[in-house]
Amino acid sequence: MEILRNITRHKLRSFLTISGIVIGVLALTTMGALAENFNALIDGGVKYFGSSIQVGPPDGQAANLIPMSKIDEIKKVEGVQAAFPGYQFQAKPGGAIVVSFGIPDTITAVDPDENNYSALKVTYAEGRGVTSGSHGEVALGSTIAKEFKKRVGDSIDLPVRPADAKPDFVNHTFTVVGVLNETKTAPDTFAYINIADGQMLLRDSLPATLRSSIDVTQITEGISVYGKPGTSLSDLDKVADRINSQVTGVKALRPSDLVNGFKSGGAIFTAITTAAALLALVIGGLSVVNTMFMAVAERVREIGLKKAVGATTMNVMSEFLIEATLIGLIGGLLGYGFGVLIVVSRNTLFAPADGSSLFLITPALTIFAIGFATVLGAVAGVLPAWRAARLDPVIALRND
Amino acid sequence: MAGVQLVNLTKHYKRGSEVIRALDGVTLKIDRGEFVAVVGRSGSGKTTMLDLLGLLLKPTAGSLVIDDVETTRLSDRERAHTRARKVGFVFQEYNLLSGLNVLENVMLPQRYVKDGEAGKRRAIELIERVGLTDRIKHRPTELSGGQMQRVAIARSMVNRPSLILLDEPTGAVDTETAQQLVDLLKRLNREDQVTIVLVTHDLDIAAQASRQIRLKDGKVLADEMVAAPVPA
Repeated sequence: MEILRNITRHKLRSFLTISGIVIGVLALTTMGALAENFNALIDGGVKYFGSSIQVGPPDGQAANLIPMSKIDEIKKVEGVQAAFPGYQFQAKPGGAIVVSFGIPDTITAVDPDENNYSALKVTYAEGRGVTSGSHGEVALGSTIAKEFKKRVGDSIDLPVRPADAKPDFVNHTFTVVGVLNETKTAPDTFAYINIADGQMLLRDSLPATLRSSIDVTQITEGISVYGKPGTSLSDLDKVADRINSQVTGVKALRPSDLVNGFKSGGAIFTAITTAAALLALVIGGLSVVNTMFMAVAERVREIGLKKAVGATTMNVMSEFLIEATLIGLIGGLLGYGFGVLIVVSRNTLFAPADGSSLFLITPALTIFAIGFATVLGAVAGVLPAWRAARLDPVIALRND
Repeated sequence: MAGVQLVNLTKHYKRGSEVIRALDGVTLKIDRGEFVAVVGRSGSGKTTMLDLLGLLLKPTAGSLVIDDVETTRLSDRERAHTRARKVGFVFQEYNLLSGLNVLENVMLPQRYVKDGEAGKRRAIELIERVGLTDRIKHRPTELSGGQMQRVAIARSMVNRPSLILLDEPTGAVDTETAQQLVDLLKRLNREDQVTIVLVTHDLDIAAQASRQIRLKDGKVLADEMVAAPVPA
């Protein structure tokens, strides 16, 4: 109680000091939430690309197409357990190019069996996944379902017709058979269809002059290759190397290269955002140091008295340390509270039309933001508390 | 039955090349329950002696025994613990904490006595004995000088110390209030058998103690029993 009274004794000074911490933690919370959201996206990529080998056309090939026969060749390579074709299309073609922290809405044609091999498992909040023998079915990621306000049983035209679409623009009506649970990563903005429907969209996307001359059932845009369950990243790299040496006309990317690319991108982004926020917080911490030194200077007689009535060096030191820590904690809680308010407002009240979220509050971020502010307060109080504890009681008692 | 024993107690300070002999080889015995007044001019060593008795200062030489404990060899932590349990302080400027009320100020020394049996009840009892029950929730700024000094006296006794040290306790109050405070001290001294060492310039106050020690230049100039101290 006395410590709280000491803090409220100089209301304006305490308000300004705590405000410094609040601003720092607010920055840390919002920047951290931005980084956490980005890292969740990255983690999805790491999980998916760390458990499979992506095979595409060889370097220099203009079209992103591979003969379907390559799948059988790849399956013969040592260490390969499964290989699946895949197609991807823009769900909203013709949109303006904007800088985004998320993954754009994408139509993804996959073999339903692939989910059994991928480390990035998708699960369904309602309904089910598409089946290989069906036609015109789609399972929507949580964000894309929210964006288009679709539930199981609804229908959706894909790709979405742009406002300025040409007369020959073609799309198809799909029935929503499932809505995925939120993953905070790629599947949230994906519309999953089966391979046959993917080939139908591929045919639509080809130039009119080529449509009749290409058998889309014999080509794929890419191949996802899986090893036996539990195959390590380095072993997958070796499988990728074997594919490159044994199968012509394709290029297998080493999973570790993709994973490292994702990780380094995430680390740089986290470092930049967190460092900026920590800088703001450390500046706030310096104001705590200043305030605590002033508090010690003002309470010299009080310190002398406490020593006279039996306070040890540790007693005096801990009183000032607790006070500084409490300033950090109050600032941390308020800053975090305001930060969450901003983040939640942005994600809900001012959510973008595509339903994506820019920020992600995680338990780790919560502990880090409040914990760092509290520890910073404690650290900021060490020097002033040490000075207080070392005061000579005889001099302190007679201080004017 | 010596409560406090000083043997050749010495405190020297260095000021540049000059050595200040604040207390110069004082040897004294103060029995438990005595009411001692220490008088002398400014610079005679009164306050230094009080600070040494209160273990706020370490002597340059000599021995100081309080309740059979040789205190000069104690660590800082042990000295703090001894202060908390055995010594009470009263200062001229009261030194009450403005953010605490009367009860909280009286209870302040209890924070530093982990196994202290004196709790809130002891503090309330002392406040009653110094006649401030109706002011128990008041802040120091709402009290007169005499009332603040009563709070300080109650605070000095809350941990049942064997020795209470008072540094010019009547220096900031009028004559009538000063006499009331001395009467209170005499009563507490008699009722609790607590040893009181009071430093004062006021010879009228000193005359009411059971013993007077006169210091000059850091040495004991006179040490005499007062013939018939006036009971409170």
